[in-house]
Amino acid sequence: MLVLGIESSAHTFGVGIVERGRILANEKSMYKITDKGLVPSKVAETHIANAADVISRALSKAGLKIGDIEGIGYTKGPGMGPCLQVGEITAKAIANRLGCNIAQVNHGAAHIAITKAMTKMQDPLVLYVSGGNSQILRLAGSTYKVLGETFDMGVGNMIDSFAREIGLNPAWGSTVAKYAQQGRYIKLPYTVKGMDFAFTGLLTSAIKLKGGAKVEDLCYSIQETAFAMLCEATERALLLTGSDELCVCGGVAQSTRLQEMLGIMAKSHGARFGCAANEFNADNGAMIAYVAERMLVKGLGTPLAKCTIEQRYRIDRAVVV
Amino acid sequence: MRLIDEGAEAKIFEAKVLGMQVIIKERQAKRYRIGQLDTELRETRTRREAKVLSALGKLGVNSPKLLGVGRFTLYISAVKGKMLSKYSGRANFSKIGEQLGMIHNGDVVHGDFTPANIMKSGKDYYVIDFGLAEFTRSVEDKATDVLLMKRSVDAASYKRFIKGYTSKGAVAKEVLKRLSEIEKRGRYQTRTVA
Repeated sequence: MLVLGIESSAHTFGVGIVERGRILANEKSMYKITDKGLVPSKVAETHIANAADVISRALSKAGLKIGDIEGIGYTKGPGMGPCLQVGEITAKAIANRLGCNIAQVNHGAAHIAITKAMTKMQDPLVLYVSGGNSQILRLAGSTYKVLGETFDMGVGNMIDSFAREIGLNPAWGSTVAKYAQQGRYIKLPYTVKGMDFAFTGLLTSAIKLKGGAKVEDLCYSIQETAFAMLCEATERALLLTGSDELCVCGGVAQSTRLQEMLGIMAKSHGARFGCAANEFNADNGAMIAYVAERMLVKGLGTPLAKCTIEQRYRIDRAVVV
Repeated sequence: MRLIDEGAEAKIFEAKVLGMQVIIKERQAKRYRIGQLDTELRETRTRREAKVLSALGKLGVNSPKLLGVGRFTLYISAVKGKMLSKYSGRANFSKIGEQLGMIHNGDVVHGDFTPANIMKSGKDYYVIDFGLAEFTRSVEDKATDVLLMKRSVDAASYKRFIKGYTSKGAVAKEVLKRLSEIEKRGRYQTRTVA
């Protein structure tokens, strides 16, 4: 089945096209992050302006016409309301015109599904780390069970907020990672409670040191501390579940340092570690199309009139196909 | 010295010292984190756990006795008995609640208060593994201890547990109020504990 998937939960408007699990196109446009971070209404406006272009780019990449598409998928949630709505409306418009079925996809479950496919893992323990989410998950029956998660903010959001506050440009993780290379360790709050963790204390303390400590040292220490916290909680979950596979996914999974740390940890317990290419860890339409196809093939589509968005669509309520 | 258990943080050994059974808990180095952070975490946690154990001894809580402390190592008394999570009989949850009440009275939170960390020893119940314990007055953290137990046992056991907890816990009323608030928070509504 030729399925087009639309992702628009945050700063990325992405369109992917998939057929029998094979990715034919994965195009996107990103909202340019300013010193104000993500303003949902502004991001949504940008998505609206870019939607048609990204769709045509994806179609031409796949060598298809819109009429060839047999199914549509879009991100139902979680994410920012105005942004999700753009994807929902776009999906409905296309489905209405083509008379095809729609699948409502959970964003986090899609990250995991594409990662499992790319790493050829069967039943991994999952660390899902992005701007808004930081969770440790394992499949239990037909849904993911949350074994541990952040008590406050997602790790990506925490690092981006820090980068903005100390004036880095662009204000996101890869810039922090670049500065971190020249940094030395300063003690910062480290908060792990069993398999859960919290980041606000770390963020506040690092910002307070602005001016008093070298930017490189702050970048190094916030990154090392935050990733060590994630590793420790994940290690506990790995031992609890006895899983022999560990994967990391989501935007922050692009960090080579986090990958390295998780790899060392997994190896020390004899577990295989894997992650997908950056293209799929960043928000993308291909993962939505990939899950949508699997859902539609199994008859798990939703009638157009019943399609909605849900900002707090928790991953443990999404049925895994 | 015999390795008897390996947790996420520490290796647990059993040894005979002067004819006495001793448990040795050694926090292991983690190569995934940088040396300074690793040493600092292992040192502070070892020291903190030692302080907690010695405070619990003074409070009369049924817990392992602290015998000695190294840089990353604790020497504690062995608790003979059966882990509650592996005990199939009817446990006296009121007594378990009393233990947590006493721990909280000392402004200590356990941090991982599940049946896997309770030992039934004869008619008594011992609380073990204070590796995640902390000194705190935080009502929130105390409520989290209660919540973990609530999610691990059936409703009838929990009811008896709360009876015991309330009979000893000076801040029980406040803690239980906070517990119902925690449970109402959106993020955790569908969350179940492992």
